Amino acid sequence: MNFSQTWLPFIYLYGVGGIAFIIGMLIIIRSNALRLTFKRHLKWVWVLIYGFLFYAAIHAVLIYVAIGSQ
Amino acid sequence: MNFEVGTQLDKIVILVYFAVVMGFGAYFGKYSKTTTDYFFGGRRFAWWLITISIVATGVGSHSFVKYSTKAYQYGLSSTMTYLNDWFFMPLFMFGWLPIIYYTKVRSIPEYFERRFNSTARYLATMMILLYMIGYIAIQFLTLATALYRIYAIPLMLTVVLIAIATTIYMHFGGQTSVIFTDLFQGFILIFAGLLLFFLGIQFLGNQVGINGLSAFWMNLSPLQKLPLAHFNHPPDFNFVGIFWQDGVAGSVGFLFLNQGLIMRFMAAKSVNEGRKAAAINVLLVLPISAIVVSNAGWIGRAITNVAPEMLPLEMAANDVFVAVTNIVSSPGVFGFIIAALCAALMSTADTLVNASSAVIVNDIYRPLSKNVKSEKQELKFARWTSIGVKVIAVLLVPFFNSFDSIYEAHGWFHSTFTPPLVVGVFLGIFWKRFTSQAVIATFLGGAFLMILGQFYPELISPFSHGIELRPGRGYSYIGALYNIIVCAGVGVIVSLFTKSDSSKKLIGLTVYDVHKLKSIFKGSDANEEEGETPVVSWKLDPKSADVLKFSINDMKLMKANPGDLVYIQDSRWWLGGLKSAHSKYGKPHNEDGVVYISSSHLEHGQFVEGLTLRAEKEM
Repeated sequence: MNFSQTWLPFIYLYGVGGIAFIIGMLIIIRSNALRLTFKRHLKWVWVLIYGFLFYAAIHAVLIYVAIGSQ
Repeated sequence: MNFEVGTQLDKIVILVYFAVVMGFGAYFGKYSKTTTDYFFGGRRFAWWLITISIVATGVGSHSFVKYSTKAYQYGLSSTMTYLNDWFFMPLFMFGWLPIIYYTKVRSIPEYFERRFNSTARYLATMMILLYMIGYIAIQFLTLATALYRIYAIPLMLTVVLIAIATTIYMHFGGQTSVIFTDLFQGFILIFAGLLLFFLGIQFLGNQVGINGLSAFWMNLSPLQKLPLAHFNHPPDFNFVGIFWQDGVAGSVGFLFLNQGLIMRFMAAKSVNEGRKAAAINVLLVLPISAIVVSNAGWIGRAITNVAPEMLPLEMAANDVFVAVTNIVSSPGVFGFIIAALCAALMSTADTLVNASSAVIVNDIYRPLSKNVKSEKQELKFARWTSIGVKVIAVLLVPFFNSFDSIYEAHGWFHSTFTPPLVVGVFLGIFWKRFTSQAVIATFLGGAFLMILGQFYPELISPFSHGIELRPGRGYSYIGALYNIIVCAGVGVIVSLFTKSDSSKKLIGLTVYDVHKLKSIFKGSDANEEEGETPVVSWKLDPKSADVLKFSINDMKLMKANPGDLVYIQDSRWWLGGLKSAHSKYGKPHNEDGVVYISSSHLEHGQFVEGLTLRAEKEM
């Protein structure tokens, strides 16, 4: 297995997708659509970050396991 | 594929399933009193009900066939499209969702009119209808392809019979029927998909003589265990193309433009419940759904690696789902799993039919009809429209049957219909400078450049990321990147050369006004204090105006003031808000633990005498 099959798609997914995610977070915070001063909005910030890391972790672990099973 | 599938018992199980769903859906027709109830379910449901019904909408019958096919060919990377939806969640949860909920737009095209003008609305209406009705046709085709083998009825006749079955419960029930049948069908299809995985693993264990899960894992090659496809190879299944087609165009299209999904969120009792439904759906239910729709292909691949003779040698990849189900399950269970395929079809098709009907009533019938129609007339028209939509979808089936595979037909849809709408809605929400002329140019000019790209694939080459150009067939998925760029390019350039719309016109329609939306919705300042949610008994006050009257102490508990918005529901949580009503707080009284409701609340909420209600301040 080469880099194009393993880590390149991962880097591209969370690189380009990560840019979209960060821009989205900045837009909703700067426009006050998400207000960091509201307790229940703050909870959502953590949920959003958790979701991003959750998927990155699933993909990373599966790639790691697949490489290890060669 | 020429192998026998199904027994008499399987056939009976499938027919019984259809009958149960039709009866279930027709029962909930009594909750549709107005077009708002019919299309939006009266904005009253809990997050968990919305979540499960979204699953049933997202997992169509094509999903089982399409993902099993790719799972059989490429392994775990078939899950890619289910696990790449999180990137746009911030913009959806805190941008689009509050806008559609609080501005009370009834359809996506209506948003286009409010944000831009009526021309934009009509263009959006046309594109969205084409997209949804075509999608319904694909659903009919997929299920008919599976069922006509079992019942040996001609394909088109099977399509017609499926259309009639879905019509029966939808015709009377509308959105409430759709949500409740989808709740039932969502559970069925998840259970059946996981059951198939369990049976497949057991089958593999028996074949190899070791633990089933180990047998399954050992019989996938390292390449088949990778969760993401090869970056840019082969042309018909590569990571980067599918990322742009599904992860970007598909995800934004599904979250922001799928009228059926939007209507689900508008049926939620509040924006926060909608956010919960969206988060749980993407974080928990989508990974499970990925396993549900793909596992037949993985099991099929592992079986082929263990015992190549088990599956028919000349089996087409598209037939993997039915073939694997047939060999790993016993009579009756096979029928149940195929019934889940029916569940997937019916739950996706009913949502799309209801959504198409909503668009036709709201964006064609109402604006064009000269006289104001009564709710009863509109409801009647809505019900007949849903039948018309199905007739057109049935007529489109032969066209989609001419594609090489369902995967291709579906991919063609996403890359052709979503980019102009995706760019239009996205720039509309997040860029105030985006003008009415620009959105029309995006629809027309963008569409022209997209067609040009279809005929001259070399235009797409600079965006190809090294994906091989297929002679005579052009690029597949990566075309979505080209389409997004040309549509966005046209929109941005035209915006820069045209006069922007007045800020007054844009109030409440862009992300920059989301913080004001609650006040706009309420008509006065929103009360953001968090109070308790007391359980109270109810008394009817037939003379009461359309307000709910609580005691002074209960109002204090809820931190509510007269004029604030309130939501009451039957206190049995498992009803998920089915028996509920929205209203305003009226003048308080001194009878603690009692709420006075009006006749209209009683009629809308269908509350049961002697049972308590839970009250919740909205804002």
